[in-house]
Amino acid sequence: MTVTLPRPATLPRERVRRRLRPDQARSRVAAWIAVAVIGLFGMFPVYWLIVTAFTPDDRVFSFPPSLFPSRITLDHFADLAKNEQLFGYLVNSVIVSVITAVLSVVVSAYMAYAFSKFRYRGRKSLMHLVLASQMFPQALLLVTLYAVFSAVGLLGSYTAMILSFTTFTLPLCVWMLKGIFDTVPGSLMEAAAIDGASRWRTLHTIVLPLAAPGLVAAGLFAFVRAWNDFIFALTLSSPERQTLPPGLVHTYLGEFQTAWPDLMAASFVVSLPVIAAFMFLQRYLVGGLTAGAVKG
Amino acid sequence: MRAGRLTNGQFAWLLMLPALALFLAIIAYPLISSVVTGFFEQSLVRPGRAFTGLANFADVLGGDFWPVLRNTLVFTAGATIVPFLIGYALALALNAGIRGSGLMRGLFLFPWVIPGVVVSFLWLWIFNANYGVLNGVLLRLGILDAPVSWLGEPATAMIAVIVTKSWASFPWIMVMLLAGLQTMPKELHEAASVDGAGAIRRFISVTLPHMKGIASIVVLLEFIWNFQHFDTIYVLTGGGPAGATETFAVAVYDTAFKGFDLGHATALGGLWMLLLLVLVAFYLRHETKERS
Repeated sequence: MTVTLPRPATLPRERVRRRLRPDQARSRVAAWIAVAVIGLFGMFPVYWLIVTAFTPDDRVFSFPPSLFPSRITLDHFADLAKNEQLFGYLVNSVIVSVITAVLSVVVSAYMAYAFSKFRYRGRKSLMHLVLASQMFPQALLLVTLYAVFSAVGLLGSYTAMILSFTTFTLPLCVWMLKGIFDTVPGSLMEAAAIDGASRWRTLHTIVLPLAAPGLVAAGLFAFVRAWNDFIFALTLSSPERQTLPPGLVHTYLGEFQTAWPDLMAASFVVSLPVIAAFMFLQRYLVGGLTAGAVKG
Repeated sequence: MRAGRLTNGQFAWLLMLPALALFLAIIAYPLISSVVTGFFEQSLVRPGRAFTGLANFADVLGGDFWPVLRNTLVFTAGATIVPFLIGYALALALNAGIRGSGLMRGLFLFPWVIPGVVVSFLWLWIFNANYGVLNGVLLRLGILDAPVSWLGEPATAMIAVIVTKSWASFPWIMVMLLAGLQTMPKELHEAASVDGAGAIRRFISVTLPHMKGIASIVVLLEFIWNFQHFDTIYVLTGGGPAGATETFAVAVYDTAFKGFDLGHATALGGLWMLLLLVLVAFYLRHETKERS
């Protein structure tokens, strides 16, 4: 993942290299040791996922494993590409995640705008309710969702999954977008009102276009959360409508012998869209978050 | 009615209407209904139900509740404290002015970014008793004499799920704490330095107090999330072996969707939610204080 973070506009450190005081030098050394140790814990599993995905079967199933692959193969990825069932899960994941993201952003934007720019009775309590709602246990929520979807004949449908995903993307988007609308100056809206624009028109032609990057970011977060969901998709989908997370569990686990390299290759592929999304989202990570917008 | 004739308050409610309807239909109603089900005897697969008062709660409190509460607390404490310490150490290190810290901050996000099931698959593979790399490395280093079935033993299974969840969440904690460290005025440290305070002394009397607010939010949120965590545990151990990693999330799920016993599942779930409510109340109070 290539990451560019805004750097302060000071001179590069090399050119102004001062002699470090001894205690500064010591803390640098300590910092490097910490980075190295935590780096081993943090990065080795990622390395292992990638290595396993590219290692031939006969090498993977030998013990002890060799940390550096002597031969690499693309077989596992070729197998994935030929697997029609997995392709079906992928299509389901894309459909469900995209619709969830769009639906959540559209519906949330209006509520977030009301929270951000209007003052009325019940606003505070509602805001807290929305914030708290994403902290209630999904396993419990699921019990009634399952019964309701079953009663109306939606069990196993895309709709059931999309609506269940909306239970966590809605609060997330409302809080993120409220933060974004808060940064749109109220004077803009007053100016529009003086020019005779209705509140409705002001929102659609002035505020929403200004907030467009934020809307995209909220949508991406919602997409990622929907893409990653396991418990709802596991329970509410039918075999043909399954998304990738439960699909992979059903395909690879619980067999006599798990095809680890294939599973690692699939894991690699499933992670790619999410990694791509986060490269765009880096700068929103901290901003939208204290509201619990981003779940760890 | 045209929007123009509405007061601002009415207009705001109109804007909120679609989200509010959705909210009531798929969050508020199901949650309340789930809690109510705890007072009935009801099956997932057969229609109809019978009111049984507090019977389900009595059953649950006389059985599953306590071991499950214990497991949940052990998991939550471990999966909050371990990544907090790792994340804090890493944030401090990346804030110490070493080269390439921006790039490393991005790289370290990987474990947190990848989907939860992928995290579970990966660690399932690492902990694998027969071919897993953890056994391989530990045997070669002479730390172990024989392969360990990490997920098959009650004692190690809990450690394994805590390690896995910690791996997935330390990057987020690092990002949050690093953001906090970066808002710390440099002058404070310099002044303390001039007064002769060493690195450890400065950490204790300058950094820690500055970080108190953000650190407590991070710990509280992690605690709330871990208290209801499902994915990793379910995929890694399914609550086993012998119920050693069965937390509320897994127990409620299994009782409802494997045991088909909605009454007992929701009774257990209701108690679980009561405990969560306390935590959420803490969080909301914290949030309100921060904002005012």
